[in-house]
Amino acid sequence: MKISKKVLGRVEGEVELRLRWKKGKVEDAFVIAPNYRGFEEILRGKPYLDALIITPRVCGICGHAHLIACVEAIESAYRKKGAEVKLSQKATLIRELTLSCELIQNHLRWFYLYLIPDLIKLEPSLGEEYVPLRGKRWHEALKASNFATKVIALFGGQWPHTSYAFPGGITCDPTSFEVMQAKEFLRSLKTSLEDFLTGMKLEEYVELKGRDFLTKVSGDIGKFVEISFSHGLDRVGSSYHRFLSKHGVLYHRLCKFDPLKVKESNGKGYSWSKTARYNGYPFETGPLARRMTTADKTFRYLSRKFGDSVMVRVLARLDELVRLTLRSLQILEEIDLSQPSWEKPPVDIDTFSGKGIGVVEASRGTLIHKVEIEKGRIKSYDIITPTVWNLGPRDDNFLGVVEKALIGLDSELKAEIVLRSFDVCSVCTSH
Amino acid sequence: MKLLWLHGLSCSGNTQSFLCAENPTAGELLSRFEVLYHPAVSWEADETEVVRKVLTSSEPLDVFILEGSVGPGARKIAGKEFKTVVKEIARKSKFVIALGNCAVFGNIPAKRSPEVKGLQFRFSEEGGVLGKNYRSLSGLPVINLSGCPAHPSWLSFVLLCILEGGKLKLDEKGRPVEIYAYLTHHGCPRNEYFEWKIEAEELGKKEGCLFYHFGCRGPMTHSPCNRILWNGVSSKTRAGMPCVGCTEFDFPREDMFRTKHAMGIPEELPLGVSKRGYILLAGVAKTFAPERLKKRLIDENQ
Repeated sequence: MKISKKVLGRVEGEVELRLRWKKGKVEDAFVIAPNYRGFEEILRGKPYLDALIITPRVCGICGHAHLIACVEAIESAYRKKGAEVKLSQKATLIRELTLSCELIQNHLRWFYLYLIPDLIKLEPSLGEEYVPLRGKRWHEALKASNFATKVIALFGGQWPHTSYAFPGGITCDPTSFEVMQAKEFLRSLKTSLEDFLTGMKLEEYVELKGRDFLTKVSGDIGKFVEISFSHGLDRVGSSYHRFLSKHGVLYHRLCKFDPLKVKESNGKGYSWSKTARYNGYPFETGPLARRMTTADKTFRYLSRKFGDSVMVRVLARLDELVRLTLRSLQILEEIDLSQPSWEKPPVDIDTFSGKGIGVVEASRGTLIHKVEIEKGRIKSYDIITPTVWNLGPRDDNFLGVVEKALIGLDSELKAEIVLRSFDVCSVCTSH
Repeated sequence: MKLLWLHGLSCSGNTQSFLCAENPTAGELLSRFEVLYHPAVSWEADETEVVRKVLTSSEPLDVFILEGSVGPGARKIAGKEFKTVVKEIARKSKFVIALGNCAVFGNIPAKRSPEVKGLQFRFSEEGGVLGKNYRSLSGLPVINLSGCPAHPSWLSFVLLCILEGGKLKLDEKGRPVEIYAYLTHHGCPRNEYFEWKIEAEELGKKEGCLFYHFGCRGPMTHSPCNRILWNGVSSKTRAGMPCVGCTEFDFPREDMFRTKHAMGIPEELPLGVSKRGYILLAGVAKTFAPERLKKRLIDENQ
């Protein structure tokens, strides 16, 4: 029996992967988030609006999702106390746009910067083009990701770490100049994706359905499918086949997501991460879960055939990237600039007390912020990140979602690929 | 030149920010170095092995970039405490760059424990992990690039200076003067409202200055955010968000979206401005403020 231990980069932060081997197979696996900063402790006692500035700093790559979860948690606390929060359609759409653009940059950077280097090790014929710092495609993908960050900055001022969403709306007051600039950045992004990711018009890509999907996909998505089949990525990486997003909870049948059924525990205590359970059960969250809980026919078909394998999980993330790009372009057509950006909620911030919850679909899945406010200050703040669902440690009854997916694998490289297919963020995991 | 980039207690936001760099891009700039290890880029190198090698090598390291603060809660590398690793690497580095407010001043993680620090500071306190008198092999103290996060071009500028053998002038907090001599206020499109003391009474509008009610730190924060734009296109104040002072030692402060007042004027005044001068000027400015500044910038009824 051998135990291998490795600290991995090309994830957000660092993660330690500990594998116990028996007869050339992974017999047990531990995923460890090695750093701890203590955001929930730090937030206690602070004036609650400060959380809009502090919580995005949980994560450098999905901080915007934390901002939106935080502002929604505060707004939900206001509403529960009967204070009307008028949110204009313009503010709602712009929040959706900037959040979508954060997911877009995330998925692009994750695929080309973090995952593909593993695939080069698996299939060296993939070639020089994709090698970090040397390959042309690596540079192109990074550049494309920045069309999306520019759109966030046009409305939010900067990325990472803006706090432009505020209870009652957003702080920016864009003109049609910003909207036009954003359209151009997104058109450039769309062209880049068509050039190398889909190898066809995005509009054509979204028409690929069911069985046709795998045979007709082209570009780097097509290459990924080929590599998956030739190296068995369609057969490894399955976990519990239970999926959770704010749209629903899927196990045997699809149920409504009820945040009251979410419980967090410390798990077995070998990681700084907590572990989250829904009704006591582990669930996978993320783009694949979003597809599965919105009854997407193509992904229901793919998962019936190939389970929640690496191939299907990765395809779900890339599919989301394509759809969000089109959706973002559409949002820009829908924004009515004459509407107010912000309407002050009728609340005295110094004396306000209440409890609120914000649930957001972030890059890696369902992100939950829970806040309890007493006389204008934070009494408690609880953050359940998507990676707590996926990367959290085992408890008395179940292995962590990723840990389960690692068991039985026959190589360290494949273990890394399975782990990265979940899009690892250790800074969010332990926060 | 050999470059090593490590994460301490961080959100990796400075890595992500740097990946947004332009002219040159992060990829182009890193390609000009021999990158021993970078958390988002390295794919063949193993962090533990690289660190072990650097620690035992008799050769100096050219550039050491630390992102994140140092102290309890940080992982071990190669069996050593993170703090020890950082100290030993700093001792054999020609240039040490603290990237972002965590590495410079301790920032949010330092709020949890007095043992969590930046490289040469913990908030306003001098010393940090390496001590006040630390100098790298080049003779410079730690090059501090404060900001939560730091703008990618600030780092690119420093790295390009190092590559070209140029001289770096640092301020009393170890920050390059070409970058931190400026205030966020410089170049803010709301400047004219500030001049004439026209206050933004609500958020979500192009007009009005955010300094009076919404806690904007623009006039006392050293950063060129309105000179070197974010993501090449904007800045927080351009998007109607008050500057939160994230390049300064006291970030994050408390109650950041509010300006505290004492006897009708802001408790903290723009850098170097006296109370008497401020009151005098504000009175005159308010009296003579042009009418056009009290209207919407773009007339919605036109």
